[in-house]
Amino acid sequence: MDKLTREEVLHVAHLARISLTEEEIEKFRGELKILMDDIDKIKEIKDFDEEMMYTPVDGNARLREDEIGDMLSAKDATINAPKKNGSFIEVPVMINE
Amino acid sequence: MSEFTPTIGIEVHVEVKSKSKLFSNSANSYGMATNTSVNVIDLGYPGTLPTINKEIIRQGIRTAHILNCDITRRMHFDRKNYFYPDNPKNYQITQNRTPIGRNGYVEIEVDGTKKKIEIEELHIEEDTCKSAHRGSVSLLDFNRAGVPLIEIVTKPCIKNGKEAMAYLTKLKELLFYANISDCKMEEGSMRCEPNISISKDDSFGTKVEVKNVSSIHSVGLAIDYEIKRQEEMLNNGETIKEETRRFDDKQGKTILMRVKETGNDYRYFIEPDIPYLELTDDFINESLNALPLLPDELRKKYTNLGLSSLQIEKLINNRSLNTYFLGLLDYKTNYVTAVNLLLSDIASYLNKHNRLILETKLSYEKLVKVIESLESKELSNKNVKDLIDSLMETDKSIEELKKEFNIENITDDSFIKEVVTKVIENNTDSVNDYKNGHDRALKYLMGQVMKETKGAVNPKKANDILIEALNK
Amino acid sequence: MSKYLDLSIKEIHELLVEKKITPLNLVEEALERIEAAKDLNAFITVNDKVREEASTLGEVDPDNLFFGIPIAIKDNIVTKDLKTTCASHILDNFIPIYDATVVEKIKNAKMLIIGKANMDEFAMGSTSETSYFGAPLNPHDKKRVSGGSSGGSASAVAGGLVPLALGTDTGGSIRQPASYTGLVGMKPTYGRISRYGLVAFASSLDQIGPMTRTVYENAALLNILVGEDEKDLTSVKKEKEDFTRFIGDDIAGMKIALPKYFVSEIVDKEISDRIKEIISLLREKGALVDIIDMKYLDTAVNLYQIIAMAEASSNLARFDGVRYGFRADNIDSVDSMYAKTRGEGFGDEVKRRIMIGSYILSGENAKTYYDKALKVRDDITKEFARIFKDYDLIIGPTTTRVAPMLGMTKDDPHKAFMDDVLVIPVNMAGLPGLNVPVGINSEGLPIGLHIIGKSFAEATIYRLASFIEEVER
Repeated sequence: MDKLTREEVLHVAHLARISLTEEEIEKFRGELKILMDDIDKIKEIKDFDEEMMYTPVDGNARLREDEIGDMLSAKDATINAPKKNGSFIEVPVMINE
Repeated sequence: MSEFTPTIGIEVHVEVKSKSKLFSNSANSYGMATNTSVNVIDLGYPGTLPTINKEIIRQGIRTAHILNCDITRRMHFDRKNYFYPDNPKNYQITQNRTPIGRNGYVEIEVDGTKKKIEIEELHIEEDTCKSAHRGSVSLLDFNRAGVPLIEIVTKPCIKNGKEAMAYLTKLKELLFYANISDCKMEEGSMRCEPNISISKDDSFGTKVEVKNVSSIHSVGLAIDYEIKRQEEMLNNGETIKEETRRFDDKQGKTILMRVKETGNDYRYFIEPDIPYLELTDDFINESLNALPLLPDELRKKYTNLGLSSLQIEKLINNRSLNTYFLGLLDYKTNYVTAVNLLLSDIASYLNKHNRLILETKLSYEKLVKVIESLESKELSNKNVKDLIDSLMETDKSIEELKKEFNIENITDDSFIKEVVTKVIENNTDSVNDYKNGHDRALKYLMGQVMKETKGAVNPKKANDILIEALNK
Repeated sequence: MSKYLDLSIKEIHELLVEKKITPLNLVEEALERIEAAKDLNAFITVNDKVREEASTLGEVDPDNLFFGIPIAIKDNIVTKDLKTTCASHILDNFIPIYDATVVEKIKNAKMLIIGKANMDEFAMGSTSETSYFGAPLNPHDKKRVSGGSSGGSASAVAGGLVPLALGTDTGGSIRQPASYTGLVGMKPTYGRISRYGLVAFASSLDQIGPMTRTVYENAALLNILVGEDEKDLTSVKKEKEDFTRFIGDDIAGMKIALPKYFVSEIVDKEISDRIKEIISLLREKGALVDIIDMKYLDTAVNLYQIIAMAEASSNLARFDGVRYGFRADNIDSVDSMYAKTRGEGFGDEVKRRIMIGSYILSGENAKTYYDKALKVRDDITKEFARIFKDYDLIIGPTTTRVAPMLGMTKDDPHKAFMDDVLVIPVNMAGLPGLNVPVGINSEGLPIGLHIIGKSFAEATIYRLASFIEEVER
């Protein structure tokens, strides 16, 4: 069976920000290849129009009036955050700003 | 003369004024307590969906209009996917394929020559949250997340720092006047990112982007510095890398932030949570109806009213006074006198008390009365200065104020005569000078009259009475 | 043990009105049944406040058919203060701070949320075996799956634990488990029910819908769930209608199409034979049934893979350990926070799909795959519209086979999609589709009929479904 290379797996894993164990890399080399072959079938479809449909909704998007609604307290805004620091949510330092 | 031709494009982000955010109805306001101007949508909570703020679409239409862009009639939004802690959903909703405006221009004048800076496109998107860095951690405040932005992208048609500054000054003036944005670079509500390349021929050189520039003036300095730096590098046989630099105001130079990875992979696709948005003629017209007169239109209008160019520029620089003045044009009065008052006593009152004219009690009717009284010499400029606090803060009529401040005296002939007699008695030398034909003596005597009365007399009347007394 | 929950909703309602029973009786019975059927693994979370809520309701007079009725909610629909996990480790302690719009509607109707139903992780899968909490079992045969992704909702209703459940359907996830467990399951027209509070898998395909024991109860529950929602721009404004209004009508004169593809060799013989019997019956009762050619049906799985995985890769990007959910330990940078949190937090099926989804949107691939899929999606939608010019409904089997044994599709990334080959085209076009049980096979396992309607023609679907239900009874 055809497989992706290790590098190809690591590339898509990086795009999706997913760390993989060595076993997973090996496992996904085959599994991802099957899915890539699946999606490649679209190339065989020859009979199609240019118009794209990205949503089944026909109508025009509704617009909201510019009014302020309910807001959260700082406590609720951070209530589910794994790491808090006062009213802030904390993450490891962001470099390369 | 350099053998290289610089090519410069500028991306400008402005925070758009509105009550609520772009895709959620939490408050779009600056300076609120940490993480209090947020709701579940701004935090990218699972299951939340965007809605569209009508006012931001209107602001987009207005911006497109004032920048002479074609307005896109049928648009959708797109997702720009990238992982970063300040990006709550790890995608930003923006307009990639169908920006609301395209193909516009801003006309500038540099050293007496006019030039059109071409606008490639402008689009609506959401802002990220704010982060502060403390040692090994960063702290996130989501108040800014979802604040509406308009990004304006020029074509690479700018040649130097001077042109860039002229463009940004004009752009800022337009956006500020049209009430699109505060355009405060120091608060981040206007952010300018120039990209610079130089080349010996028609092909474009390698682009270097400059970020975190703190003022329009710095943009000009950064560009000129960057042109010089790149010229020197090429002359030394070095190659320019595609990179992002920042401008350091103190050192006056650009400093490397990061070298660009090969092609940013933002994985754009159409935002499926927002159906097509089609703009009708009515909606566009309604949006544009709310657009105030813009600076160039004002300049023309004010010149015709007889204002000096100095007055015009001063007035345009003070938007709230200008708005007030535009309202005054519905009344018949001496507009030159009005502007003089607005820019002198009234402006200094407003500055001193840190207030806006619309927050004061200076009605148009009252101002017109003040101007009339000045022209009839019932009030002197000095009187107005003395009365200014009361004029701005009370509902009292001018008659009432005159009484209160004892300005009644000024039309009281006998009072003036009394003073004039006293002045003539005390200044016999000057009286003689006057009689010998020295006109200057009259001015001196008049000054003494004003001094005696602390300026509270009708000058015309006092003058008449003085001459009459001298000629006796 | 009492047996009130086996009665019809109408009968339960009468008992409640006559004060012969209380909502608390119903809740106690449901909790007992859930406890007794723990092996079905139908629920991820049981609402520990539901007794209290039922007691409070005991003071009030019933004001609608669903007053006091226990309901299961699929665990990808957020419920305020009630854990919502999406069957994922990454959200296994997540307590939402708001209610989905459908949950507000359920609460307004004073239904009692008994718990959160098991499912495939983030609704990705066709057997519910990708759940972090283990697969729910099929009450008809506990060695078999109850389908997916709304497998827990199906197990709960088919196992008699609750009379009603909400499921969600992105590529057949209500209709296929309904078919595997012998339930009525409706995926309404895209836009019929607000998605606000449904944790998005593929935004342009997802739709919430009712899973019930009978057609009437399905239509009556849909009445409560629908409506334009200002919080969801893809929800559509429609005149209020009663979806039960055609129930019991005869079917003479109805024009029904059966695409050849739906009875082709991809379908088990026993199932196609059953469908053919139904066709004869329908014709006998005066309906016109034509077997027709329909283009693009065989492209739907391909389109689904591309569109659903692409959208999912973006929708699931927000699970990053910053604002809510699980964050991995031992992280020293933003990059390691993302990669470890997501690497440890997601299961294999989710990982595969978001990796491929990211690949699909990456650089030039977006044109090759995603744009092209949207173009063919437009064609398949137009093809449906063409058929619906001449016909009221399209029918076929819901699945190509009966419920498979546990473990059969596990770790087969391709097969997971093929279970839904007959139901996926409906999601592409945003149409309404429903499963109605049409008997059992030789092993005693349920077979389902799939009825597809025009956009917003759910009532017409219920008309045919109720007729078939009556005949089957």
